[in-house]
Amino acid sequence: MSEPLRVLIVEDEALLAMELEDVIAEAGHTVVGCAVSLEDARRLVDSMTADIALVDIHLSDGPTGIEVANYIRQATKSTVVFLTANPKRIPQDFAGAMGVIAKPYTVNGLTAALRYMEEGVRRPPPSCARPIGFSLAPAYAAAWA
Amino acid sequence: MDRNPNTNGADDWHLTGDIPVEHGRGDPFAAAIRKTRMSMIVTDPRRDDNPIVFANDAFLRMSGRTREEVVGRNCRFLQGPETDPQAIDDIRAAVQAGDSINIDILNYRKDGRSFWNALHISPVFNDAGELQFFFSSQLDVSDRKNAESRVVAEKERFEQAVQDRTAELQTALEAQTALLHEVDHRVKNNLQMISSLIVMQSRSIPDESIRLSLKSMLDRVEALSTVHRRLYQSNDISRFDLADFVRDIVTDLIAAAGGKFDMQLDLNPVDIPAEKAAPVALIVNELVTNAIKHGFRDRGEGMIAVRVKRLDGHCVIEVADNGSGMRGTQPSTDRSSFGLRLIRALGRQLHANIEWAEGNPGTRVVLTMPVDHASEQGGNV
Repeated sequence: MSEPLRVLIVEDEALLAMELEDVIAEAGHTVVGCAVSLEDARRLVDSMTADIALVDIHLSDGPTGIEVANYIRQATKSTVVFLTANPKRIPQDFAGAMGVIAKPYTVNGLTAALRYMEEGVRRPPPSCARPIGFSLAPAYAAAWA
Repeated sequence: MDRNPNTNGADDWHLTGDIPVEHGRGDPFAAAIRKTRMSMIVTDPRRDDNPIVFANDAFLRMSGRTREEVVGRNCRFLQGPETDPQAIDDIRAAVQAGDSINIDILNYRKDGRSFWNALHISPVFNDAGELQFFFSSQLDVSDRKNAESRVVAEKERFEQAVQDRTAELQTALEAQTALLHEVDHRVKNNLQMISSLIVMQSRSIPDESIRLSLKSMLDRVEALSTVHRRLYQSNDISRFDLADFVRDIVTDLIAAAGGKFDMQLDLNPVDIPAEKAAPVALIVNELVTNAIKHGFRDRGEGMIAVRVKRLDGHCVIEVADNGSGMRGTQPSTDRSSFGLRLIRALGRQLHANIEWAEGNPGTRVVLTMPVDHASEQGGNV
């Protein structure tokens, strides 16, 4: 495995964030922070470096996940992947994100998505198959076609 | 408005001119004009401002004025605040051109009450073709005009009502759609939380067999999750394609199992009603996890074939493996017997026929259930 990924979690459901932390740690990566709102996410993004940000769309202050993604795109080099039960809310350009993991995901689906993202960040394009429930943003799909 | 310079045909004066009549008291035409119930006047355009020179009694009744108040004056005193300026212009133009005109115009009585006047004006020429008089008749058509405007108002009111109702329905539809999305979102989130709870709980349990039980439970919840993830992706939320979620479930289970499994999928599109999706997903989950766990036990390799197809109004789902077969399974253990009970109960619910056969090697399970669209829809009404 290449260098572990530093992962930022932006998810307002504490249980889901907790489970994400476990799965990410089990896969050998590091969780650098958990945010529950837009403001929270901005503060964390400004204070640390992450390779990947997993961003839910519905946060504790409303459907602000897209704004979080836009902020990350402008302020950092981190790659965003959405994590949502509402993939239809994602704009056409995915706010620059690599793709979306549709909720509800399976444990295996999430693990496979982490592997796929790791390859997508460290040595793109990923060699493993795109996992079930993971949709790629049009820009990435075109670049990795 | 009807403005026609030729209606005052040059020869129609013969109609009255050829009858020998005396002028004055015995003139029947003058008597007719004086006594008719239709309002009539004669104006003299040769005099300054084309004043009224004769008004019959009907005109006086209609306008609410005495003869002294009208004779010698231009008839524009009939106009009032809501008289259409365009109509006034049209009349003025006809008079100036010496033409006749028919026009509906809003006029006013002396007391200020308005009425709709179907006005006719025509010029009177002498033998030399010189304009002598204008003859004008007035007919109160307020009833007709009011009926017309009532029809227009009715129509507008009706159109407004339709528009309001359409907007209401649109709002209701939007509210319903928003509600559906909200419920969909909550169902998905809750399913995600249930799986997360099971996963986290199972991490803290040292006992292998309990952990395996929880893993079977997680597989079942995840099969339901897969159905819900697929459910609202299509536009028709009442039916969806069996092949789509069977592919997701089988692929996910095999990938999660690790090892070397040769997965053979032959999945043809079969539309099933949404309410059948969850029981079908649970059965497929049981059959495939059975094949992985019991068919191959600890070998960690083998072949699993899953086929979905339509046959004579039925949906056929086939799960086959090349494992150790039913002889090698232990149906008496709690886990597998619960799995079998699940399959039987859900099969009954789906009116499905489930056959287990020795595959030589391995096991072959064939589920056949009715999915005839016509009878489905008939049954739901």
